[in-house]
Amino acid sequence: MNFSFDVIWHNLPYMLAAARWTLLISVGGMAISLVWGVFLCAARISRGPFLSRIAALYISFFRGVPLLVQLLIFYYMLPHVGLDLPAVAAAILAVGMCSAAYTAEILRGALQTIPRGQTEAALALGIPTLSLWRRILVPQAIRIGLPSLTNELILLVKVSSLASVVGIGELTRISQNITGETYRPLEIYVAAAAIYFLINVILSALGRLAENRLLVG
Amino acid sequence: MGDITTEQPIIEIRNLSKHFDDFEALRDITLDVHRSEVLCLIGPSGSGKSTLLRCINFLEAYDGGEVRLEGELIGWKSAGAPPRKPLSGEALRRQRQHIGMVFQQFNLWPHLTALENVAEALIHVKGLPKAEAMTKARAALAKVNLSDKEANFPANLSGGQQQRVAIARAIAMEPSVMLFDEPTSALDPELVGEVLGVMKQMAAEGMTMVVVTHEMGFAAHVADRVAFLEGGRLVTCAPPADIFGREPDDPRVNAFLKTYRERNVV
Amino acid sequence: MELDLFVRYGPALLSGFGVTILCWIVGSLGGLVLGFALACLYRFGPRPLRWLIQAYVEVIRGTPFMIQLFILYFGGPHFGLLLTPVQAGIASFIIYGSPYFAEIFRSGFNAIPKGQIEAARCVGLSEGRILFRIILPQMLVPTTAPLTNFFIILTKETAILSVVTVPELLYETQTMASETFTFVEPFLVLSLFYWLMVIGTSWLGDKVERRVTRHLRRA
Repeated sequence: MNFSFDVIWHNLPYMLAAARWTLLISVGGMAISLVWGVFLCAARISRGPFLSRIAALYISFFRGVPLLVQLLIFYYMLPHVGLDLPAVAAAILAVGMCSAAYTAEILRGALQTIPRGQTEAALALGIPTLSLWRRILVPQAIRIGLPSLTNELILLVKVSSLASVVGIGELTRISQNITGETYRPLEIYVAAAAIYFLINVILSALGRLAENRLLVG
Repeated sequence: MGDITTEQPIIEIRNLSKHFDDFEALRDITLDVHRSEVLCLIGPSGSGKSTLLRCINFLEAYDGGEVRLEGELIGWKSAGAPPRKPLSGEALRRQRQHIGMVFQQFNLWPHLTALENVAEALIHVKGLPKAEAMTKARAALAKVNLSDKEANFPANLSGGQQQRVAIARAIAMEPSVMLFDEPTSALDPELVGEVLGVMKQMAAEGMTMVVVTHEMGFAAHVADRVAFLEGGRLVTCAPPADIFGREPDDPRVNAFLKTYRERNVV
Repeated sequence: MELDLFVRYGPALLSGFGVTILCWIVGSLGGLVLGFALACLYRFGPRPLRWLIQAYVEVIRGTPFMIQLFILYFGGPHFGLLLTPVQAGIASFIIYGSPYFAEIFRSGFNAIPKGQIEAARCVGLSEGRILFRIILPQMLVPTTAPLTNFFIILTKETAILSVVTVPELLYETQTMASETFTFVEPFLVLSLFYWLMVIGTSWLGDKVERRVTRHLRRA
């Protein structure tokens, strides 16, 4: 066995360029996940039994089906229903829709730790429900749920590798392509693993930084 | 008390010291406990009384000095200056069988019933056959008036009942001494009495007991001697009448008891 | 709805299901055992070993399963490790799961109050007896829910094995879809299938949890 760093060195620029797509998919997915997750969470804990049940069903389904299957469904089915999105957009949407189910539960857990008295105080002051959510509940829930949300983002970086299956040129796919040309899978995939690891180390450091900021602020 | 001084003490503590990093928890403690004696350890929090108790059964490895139970050195292979080698796990386990301990937080095993908590060590340490162990365990539970609760899990017992099961767990091993580490401090006030009652009864039956406590009433009425610790040192050790009398000899004891009395005035 | 399609591909789908279950059970149980061993080594082992385990945990948790699978399956032959897809799939499953299991067990160890172990030492119980009689039974309480959760995650990760041609459920479904040019029905059925598997596992986990926390409930 000989491990060639040269192969890695020569192909690193391509891999780093591909890592930008990895980041785009995960960060874009997280943005959708956050917005959609807030709505799902609100629906889940709403008093309306219908809305709450629909949200619960959504959460259960999207958490119960492998993301790879969801991705394939999005990729192949969206054209069927007349939505002709670029592959990357479909992937970001799929990742975001799936992740929102987890984000909704993270936020729900966080909301439960906010003392009920705060809501009562706001209601007593006559603050409308929408402002209550926007100004009081959601900011706190995100702050409390921040460690879990950082985790979720790191998870998205890892699952973005699944997008390679539908042909998106992110890090895993490009690594596969390079492997096809160089026949050096060990070196290339180890390098890819290192890049993923680095991204996640940086993200979790940023997450901790944000936590400290929010705790002070 | 003339007769007990001629007999060899059951616990001998000589020049005991203990450090936690830079903190000197115990310094040069010398103290004896005689057979059938009840010794209460009192003092402000952080004075080292719990640490002293935990050194007696080597839950804390003391650094300097000696602790002997019936003449046998506890925890270390040899007396003398550190560094010294600790006893093997097996030898330490054998020593600990003779020292019962009751904790502030009961420390019952929550996944075992009251009876199983008591019987566990009888079967797996003493090696008694199961039927005999159960009989002994039931007898121990009867001693603490909990015969009707043997099938309960700890979660279904009150704090006072849990502590009594913990006492039963210790006495079932038929130890030569019993250590109590603030046994009533975690209890609601109305449950303190039942635990102290059991302890009083044990004292009356001649059990040797070392009790760390904040229950001054218990110390005054049940203890044979009371040791007062402060800052890791033994300030005084005397019969309760001398400690709790109108004018204790030592100003530090006086100060402690004064704040204590004020705190307890409603 | 083309029911006859499902009849025709029934055997293939069934065998795919079998492979999924096989990979899931062997892979996750293997990961559980390895994770438990790591947690024990972490707790009782010497310090350099702890650092090594910590590094292993961080690296495996910080990289995608798919890349780990590729390193083992495609990279394996380069260091003399020739594995069939199923072997590679199960082996990478074990490796992938072990650090998560190790972390669950590690926090399980920490969740047991120190005083209970002291009490056990005071009555002279041996360290082995303490581990098996006091620590392990109680570890079931804080670990059952996260373990169930992770078993569920692994259920879904089996789908990734299709990428290295492990003939599991997704692989067979994809074959069926491409051979018959039907897509919607097979994938909907497939989704339903995984969903049921997940719901079943979580139901089972709840049952187990209720059983292991029996003693904590007040009568």
